[in-house]
Amino acid sequence: MTELLEIRDRIKGIFASYEVFILPVVKFLLGLVCFGMLNSKLGYMTRINNIAVVLILALLCSFLPPVGMVLLAALISLLHLYALSLEAAIIGFAVYLVMFLLFFRFAPKDSVAVILTPITCALGLPCIVPISAGLLGGPSSAVSVGCGVMVYILLHGITQSAPTINGMEDSEATAKVRLVVDSLLGNKQMIVMIAAFAITVIVAYLVRRMAIDYSWTIAIIAGALVDIIILLVGDLMYDTNISFLSIIISSLLGALIGKLVEFFRFGLDYNRTEKVQFEDDEYYYYVKAVPKLSVVGGEKTVKRINTAKSRKRTRYEDDYYDRGRGTYVGRYEEDDEYYDDAYEDDEY
Amino acid sequence: MINEDRVILMTKMASYEEHEAKENMAIGRYFRSDYIAIQVLKAVISVTIAFAVIFAIFLFYDFEKYMQDIYEMDILSFAKNILKYYIVAVVVYAGICYGVCTYRYIKARKSLKLYYQNLKKLDKMYTE
Repeated sequence: MTELLEIRDRIKGIFASYEVFILPVVKFLLGLVCFGMLNSKLGYMTRINNIAVVLILALLCSFLPPVGMVLLAALISLLHLYALSLEAAIIGFAVYLVMFLLFFRFAPKDSVAVILTPITCALGLPCIVPISAGLLGGPSSAVSVGCGVMVYILLHGITQSAPTINGMEDSEATAKVRLVVDSLLGNKQMIVMIAAFAITVIVAYLVRRMAIDYSWTIAIIAGALVDIIILLVGDLMYDTNISFLSIIISSLLGALIGKLVEFFRFGLDYNRTEKVQFEDDEYYYYVKAVPKLSVVGGEKTVKRINTAKSRKRTRYEDDYYDRGRGTYVGRYEEDDEYYDDAYEDDEY
Repeated sequence: MINEDRVILMTKMASYEEHEAKENMAIGRYFRSDYIAIQVLKAVISVTIAFAVIFAIFLFYDFEKYMQDIYEMDILSFAKNILKYYIVAVVVYAGICYGVCTYRYIKARKSLKLYYQNLKKLDKMYTE
């Protein structure tokens, strides 16, 4: 455990020192994955479906705030939908606009959750994000995760309907709109997933805020269980065709990531909990103090080769003139011992 | 000499100013009723635009049917129905927005109060 804590502190130290470089690199990689997946899953507009565009956009994202990545991703997906059919692009734009107006204004800071949720859903690991969102964010993160699910279902539905849309005549605009809208609204999977993820986020958030021992661990387990149960019950009730294996694996992965988040963000030592009680004029205070898990870094010892007498000293502010000895005296520390060091200053 | 307590307090306050202060100060500039009224007004405008977009898609979804039935359907009762849905949407959304904004305002004021207390503490440290 001590070694793990040392590694954690070292990683935190590296991140604190090189944050200016690490954050843009992480954003660049996230952008690369996001735009790469959009191009590989949709890819209807050949002009933007190439690695150069993806690299330029990812590079742009490394300097923009996270919400910039959301806007760019929305723009790229709309361009692909436009290349497929104008009607699909209009519906896509309408869904994004409604999401932006109604939901996104409540959780503008959770842009990363909006990006990560569709990515994990497309990878077949949908339950990874909600637990971490509940641990790191607030109840409003449920909105961001829900928006992410909606985006995934919209794009997935359009991808599934693409061959049919391609086969339709230009005059069949209403039929195309109906097809796209049905793929979104008639999708029970979307409702079950949004409900499951929103409840998971809220449960994880509420439990981790409780004043109980191991609250974060309990929140992770409770979140994972709630997620699995709601998705399975939803599958039984509405026949959503969500893979049982992917639910279990992604929930376990989500719990594992949650534990990592806890280790880096929270990490308390409950064995050394202290309960104190005191009072002032107005209140009695029952305080429970839980110390953070920490490790004292190994002290660096510097071995001095030259002896104290032969050392050349220069005068410091706290050195004083000893009239008895007729010299300046300074104090220095060596091997936890203090020594008075008499010396003659060059200037005096 | 460096005063450690002062440096710690200033670092905390600088971090707060960097991250949350701007947003909280923007909220704290308003009286509670003014802030909530503006936010609810924005919510009403947002929900109106969103409702118009959804209604347009709804019309386009069954466009052919409406075109065939336009002379037979009771347009007044259709409009009444739409208005009813619109009012329900506005009331529900504005209600949610009212709750969220009240919570945000209280939280921001509390946080600003603590910030100003720290400012006073810092000022005291300098005068001591």
